[in-house]
Amino acid sequence: MGLREYTIRRIIELIISLFLFSTISFIVFRMMPGDPSSLYLEEGILEPGMREAIRHMLGLDKPLWEQYLIYLKNTFTFTFGISFLYNKPAIEIIFSRKLLNTLALLLTSHGLAIVFGILLGVWAAWRRGKILDISSMIGAFILYSLPVFWVGIVMLLLFSVKMGLFPLSGTITAGVTYSNIFEYMADYIHHLILPATAITLIRLGGDYLITRNTMITIIGEDYIKTALAKGVPEKIVVWKHAARNAVLPIVTWVGLEIAVIFSGAVLTESVFSWDGIGKLIYDAALWRDYPVLEAAFFIIIFVTLLANFLTDLTYASLDPRVKYD
Amino acid sequence: MTEVSMKNRKKMYGGRWRGVKEFLKVYRKNKLGMIGLILIIIYVFIAIFAPYITPYNPYEKTGKPFIPPSPEHIFGTDELGRDIFSLTIYGTRISLFVGILATLLSAVIGSAVGILSGYFGGLIDDLLMRITDLFLIIPGIPFLIVLSVILGSNIWNIITVIAIISWPSTARLVRSETLSLKSRTFIEAAKLAGATDTYILTRHILVNVLPLISASIILTITRAIILEAGLSFLGLGDPTKISWGTMLYFADRYGAMFSSNPYYIIIPGVALSVLGLAFVFVSYAVDEIVNPRLRTRRLR
Amino acid sequence: MNSENNILLDIRKLRVYYVMSTGSVKAVDDVDLTIKNNEVVALVGESGCGKSTLAYSILRILPYPGEIISGEIIFNGMDLTKMDEEELRKKIRWRNISMIFQGAMNSLNPVMKIKDQLMEAIIYHEDAIEDVDAAYLKAIELIRRVGLDPDRVLNSYPHELSGGMKQRVVIAMSLLLNPRLVIADEPTTALDVTTQANIIDLLKDIQREIGISILLITHDLPVVAEIADRVYVMYAGKIVEYADIYSIFKNPQHPYTEGLINSVPSLVEGKLRKLTIMKGEPPDLINPPKGCRFHPRCPYKMDICEKEEPPPVKLKEGHVANCWLHVKR
Repeated sequence: MGLREYTIRRIIELIISLFLFSTISFIVFRMMPGDPSSLYLEEGILEPGMREAIRHMLGLDKPLWEQYLIYLKNTFTFTFGISFLYNKPAIEIIFSRKLLNTLALLLTSHGLAIVFGILLGVWAAWRRGKILDISSMIGAFILYSLPVFWVGIVMLLLFSVKMGLFPLSGTITAGVTYSNIFEYMADYIHHLILPATAITLIRLGGDYLITRNTMITIIGEDYIKTALAKGVPEKIVVWKHAARNAVLPIVTWVGLEIAVIFSGAVLTESVFSWDGIGKLIYDAALWRDYPVLEAAFFIIIFVTLLANFLTDLTYASLDPRVKYD
Repeated sequence: MTEVSMKNRKKMYGGRWRGVKEFLKVYRKNKLGMIGLILIIIYVFIAIFAPYITPYNPYEKTGKPFIPPSPEHIFGTDELGRDIFSLTIYGTRISLFVGILATLLSAVIGSAVGILSGYFGGLIDDLLMRITDLFLIIPGIPFLIVLSVILGSNIWNIITVIAIISWPSTARLVRSETLSLKSRTFIEAAKLAGATDTYILTRHILVNVLPLISASIILTITRAIILEAGLSFLGLGDPTKISWGTMLYFADRYGAMFSSNPYYIIIPGVALSVLGLAFVFVSYAVDEIVNPRLRTRRLR
Repeated sequence: MNSENNILLDIRKLRVYYVMSTGSVKAVDDVDLTIKNNEVVALVGESGCGKSTLAYSILRILPYPGEIISGEIIFNGMDLTKMDEEELRKKIRWRNISMIFQGAMNSLNPVMKIKDQLMEAIIYHEDAIEDVDAAYLKAIELIRRVGLDPDRVLNSYPHELSGGMKQRVVIAMSLLLNPRLVIADEPTTALDVTTQANIIDLLKDIQREIGISILLITHDLPVVAEIADRVYVMYAGKIVEYADIYSIFKNPQHPYTEGLINSVPSLVEGKLRKLTIMKGEPPDLINPPKGCRFHPRCPYKMDICEKEEPPPVKLKEGHVANCWLHVKR
């Protein structure tokens, strides 16, 4: 099978998976006890008589199967209905600044964690058993055991409250007008540093350990001994022979971790009040804002599936043994 | 290499009791492993004897709010004037309970799916693995939020929910180990000798796969403990139980950061991280011993 | 052949341990071994007896946590254990001593083309090779010599070749820089029987043609019988007997050698003999048995064997066995 057929098949699989997911998420979300109207009622936001009107407006009085069909149609046309909470199309809320904020946070922190994790992991594996390897491994274990939200709060406590170095929350300083784009960027980055560092630290442990362990397995392979015996300099053996092969499992791992990466964002974003998708999901779940929840889930799963597909393609281009099947 | 590793595995797990003894003998020499084990034993001890260790009833106001550490309250008090030290001691119970139980549940589901999938192959394998893959790419915490909103916040729901998102990785691991075991001669021999599938699955495969995945299962405990804390931190924990995550939720919500007692933030997090770390150490030590890839290569 | 200055490699009192927190694995313990110019020496023993470790220590490519504890490895008058890493890399590795690794399957890097893996040996020895083009031609010629089609093989990735082809490539690669010693570590395991025979014939032919020394590491006695001049028998990190090929097969003097030979269908006599399987498992090298390491499995065990290590006993010129049976008391 060639690349073309492979791609087509994968895209069909992707659509089937998306269909399955949307069905599951429909069932799950409609199973939530209490619809939005009852929640508003409890909170004393709505007068009792208005409840039916709201239910009708939101389409919640239709039979379930009709709701499902409407939902499917909306999902695959990327119109997820109107947010109960924001009174705007759900997709608009997702594809707003919020998505950019989340991407900015996740890409910087995970990019840094992966780069440093790989560099340190490769180096430690080659220096296996030396003091620095062992101490960096214990360091990685510690990082791995830290809860990201706690690291976040402690960083806020230290660097914002005690030292006043960084802002406490948000993505930009409220109420400030910027004279140029650079000022805006500087303020944004100033806000980004703490949350991004928290995620980088937490992820570094895992990225490092996976690289190190993969490298250790590969270093034991005969082709590494062969390369050394051939008189290839150590540095070249490490990077060209060993790391090149170690990257393969790491690529797969990163692909599988996309879902975990998104879910970690929820905690970090709520600690730092970072106005992103994670916080949006949290708020939406609390307020039973189905359209937003559904849209957010759909987008996350879509991105995850797409990322898995891309990692598979990357893998195939890195490993000559892979045949498209 | 394969011969040696098979021999080692057999030596280690073939004769059950002797195997356990030999395992302990090697384990005792692993420093990190022993540190982890001792820490866990301490935590378990604390959890069991919490009422005898704590100076105060953690549910009762025993001082002014946000008192900094003092001889009466070594870690100060919270926003309601409750003793942080006592609260933290009681929090051990929930973390250990949820961590271990959720992991056990996920190990049972994961092993069952993995073994059936790997052993029977074919259509069953395809189906089970598709389902596993679906669960594998569900974003955990958002999913947990939604589920705990649906199911409500009590401890059993939290355990179920954590198990639901933890089992797929175990299933994958068990499946690949089962596949490699299936092709070994002793399984073939058992089949030829007329052993039933159930017999082979439980007496040969499960027994041989479990030690190999034990390190990864222990690691799941750390993840489950952190997940529980994360959920509680979001305010989705069981409101009737004291947990480190819930403590941090209230600490954050009531501005402990700006208060006179920052230990309210520090202590639960340290307790949580050290427990997580202890399980990581044990997992690492078990992996060093059980995973023949890291060991026997040196013996050639 | 027997003069002292004809010796190419002289290993003296070598100890190589894998140092671990749980104790040291004494994989090579006080081993002496010599290889002369143009000689094929076989090192035989069960897997796990330390024979591969011995090979790795010659090139100093021991896997973690292996260490050369003591002893000397004299190659051409230079002690390899003390040589500077860079000098070792440039002057010894592949230039003078090359190696064919256990199992054809894994000694080629899966993500590199054969051509690049061959050229690598040349490129990183640039001071030894004046003309890279000529070296490339040499690679082509060698590929042809091992019976492969260079056009097809050089541009392939390892997974596109069969096991036998890969092993031929590896043999060609080992000869690229005209080494004086080739260490062949189980060159035929993982190959089917016919291919094994072909590979051994090829090795034998090449050895005679260009006159190199070979250290053949194997547990496969028929292969030894076919190709080796002399044999060292290794058990649990120690050499227990060495002799010329005829003495070893016709007149083994150590009970372990005898056991090894009796566990293989008859080789020399050409008639059927009752096969005996050696009892027991190879010992734990962290805490090897006291006295003679073979005593727990030895059919001729005496009291002294459990207490003291047997000294080497010279039975005739070039035949030595470490066994109490031969000590006259």
